[in-house]
Amino acid sequence: MLQGTIIYGFINSVMLLLVALGFNLTFGISGVANFAFGALYITAGFLAWIGLNTLGLPYWLAGPAAVFITAVLAGLLYRFVVLRVRGLVVSEVIATFGVGLAILELFRFLGFIGFEYTLPEMLDLEVSLAGVIVDGQRLAILLVGAGLTLFLWWFTRHTRTGRAFRAIAQDEHTALTLGINTERVATVSVAFGAAYAAVAALVILPLGTIAVNEGYHVLVNALAVCIVGGLGSTLGVVVASFMIGFAQTFTATYLDTSWMMVVSLLAILVILLARPSGLFGSQKQLEERI
Amino acid sequence: MLEVKGLMVFYENALAVNDLSLKVQAGQVVGVIGSNSAGKTTLMNTLSGLILDQRIKELRKGGERITIMGKVIHEGQDISDMPAYERVRLGIVLCRERHPVFPDSTVLENLAIAGHLRSKVEVAQTTELCFDLFPNLTRWRRRKAGFLSGGEQQMLAIGMALVVRPRLLLLDEPLLGLSPAMQEKVVEAIRSVREKTGVTIVIAEQFARPILPMLDFGYVIENGMLTLTGSGRDLMENPEVKSAYFGL
Ligand SMILES: Nc1ncnc2c1ncn2[C@@H]1O[C@H](COP(=O)(O)OP(=O)(O)OP(=O)(O)O)[C@@H](O)[C@H]1O
Ligand SMILES: [Mg+2]
Repeated sequence: MLQGTIIYGFINSVMLLLVALGFNLTFGISGVANFAFGALYITAGFLAWIGLNTLGLPYWLAGPAAVFITAVLAGLLYRFVVLRVRGLVVSEVIATFGVGLAILELFRFLGFIGFEYTLPEMLDLEVSLAGVIVDGQRLAILLVGAGLTLFLWWFTRHTRTGRAFRAIAQDEHTALTLGINTERVATVSVAFGAAYAAVAALVILPLGTIAVNEGYHVLVNALAVCIVGGLGSTLGVVVASFMIGFAQTFTATYLDTSWMMVVSLLAILVILLARPSGLFGSQKQLEERI
Repeated sequence: MLEVKGLMVFYENALAVNDLSLKVQAGQVVGVIGSNSAGKTTLMNTLSGLILDQRIKELRKGGERITIMGKVIHEGQDISDMPAYERVRLGIVLCRERHPVFPDSTVLENLAIAGHLRSKVEVAQTTELCFDLFPNLTRWRRRKAGFLSGGEQQMLAIGMALVVRPRLLLLDEPLLGLSPAMQEKVVEAIRSVREKTGVTIVIAEQFARPILPMLDFGYVIENGMLTLTGSGRDLMENPEVKSAYFGL
């Protein structure tokens, strides 16, 4: 029993991590708010479903196409809707949240509800970890989670674009004076974060159905992880994912699954009261020095 | 190399730069001398194009209206409407006032970010040049820039501008907030940058005394208007400059 809880807690943590990475990439590292994040996650799921079931495409085509289209959609959304309010964080949050709401409710309105909306599993096998049976999809989650974390860590440190992400978050005017096209970099960051959301959707959604409400949960979870970890810190996101992930799994096991979202919301509340810059956030303290 | 014709900048209805014209020849060091709120930063931001971004941001916010009239001409081309990041590609690089560095990134990361338009090899070369110019920075390579002293941040900011490999370097108050000894060091560094790279330099400064000796040409501005022009030597001997900027 306890072993099972620990292993499933671990997997749940990696799922949170997967969802939070993309959000952290856009909001934390580049300082661009994209609160349509959960909607993009669900969009990717439905796009893949349409590719597979309506168009009859093979998975290797439908999956990557869903990721690509989600990223492009997010980029366009940013370029044509959010850019008008760029620099006004509160307006960015409201604008993107509004767009996300519209997308999610549009899916509901169009009747994308029901048990037939599921995605196929990626790995068809089962293994036993410490006596606990783990299915192939959950293994895929672990592998993809580890891969995407390492890639993000490398990308933000060792590539031109990754460095530009950090630059525009810290000081946009200085970034401009160094030849960085800040608006383009911000758009790329949004598209990149959306691609991460789409990949997360492809590996996590096969565990259940593609449900509109999941879009809201994803946003709250991503927000909780990023706030607890401290916006912008990849290490912080990893640690926070595990803290919240285990807390959720233990709550679900010993209380009830309906309490899982409460854990995320409580985590946000506690951190905002106790340590507003997050466990690993240093930005605020540094800014005070200048 | 660079020419400004009849520049006027309004913030809402306040005139910050009034009918200003100036010329910068290739290879020169040109000074723009003026006390607080003379319009130096406004001028430098107009040369670098940063003011266009400020104007857009204010417009989005529904904030103040920034009006720019006149022309900025770079090697015969009118660049008045060219965004800041594109001007950097022409080699026009501004080092903003108050040591603009990325506080949350280390010294080396700051220099790497500054190399956005440059190859790895080029960045490595200028990084070395930068540590040669400012030996103080050498021991702080892996320290977050936000934890450096103001003077060290200023050196890093100038180093970052050099990593971009400017052809025209615009320095906005490089001596601000530095001790006299530190000011000497920075002036010395600017001099050696010029010798080593042959870059054209425009310096906006209120501390006239340390920089006048190295100027090929100087413009004195007050309340956004040109009041005096001349070579560095002429200005140094000018009684008005002496009384206003040397406190004599
Ligand atoms: N964003 C702004 N909005 C409104 N007025 C401004 C703005 N920036 C500058 N000004 C005004 O324009 C005038 C010129 O300012 P500017 O910053 O160019 O002067 P400066 O010579 O750089 O001064 P300092 O030596 O203090 O940096 C000042 O009267 C200032 O109050
Ligand atoms: Mg100024």
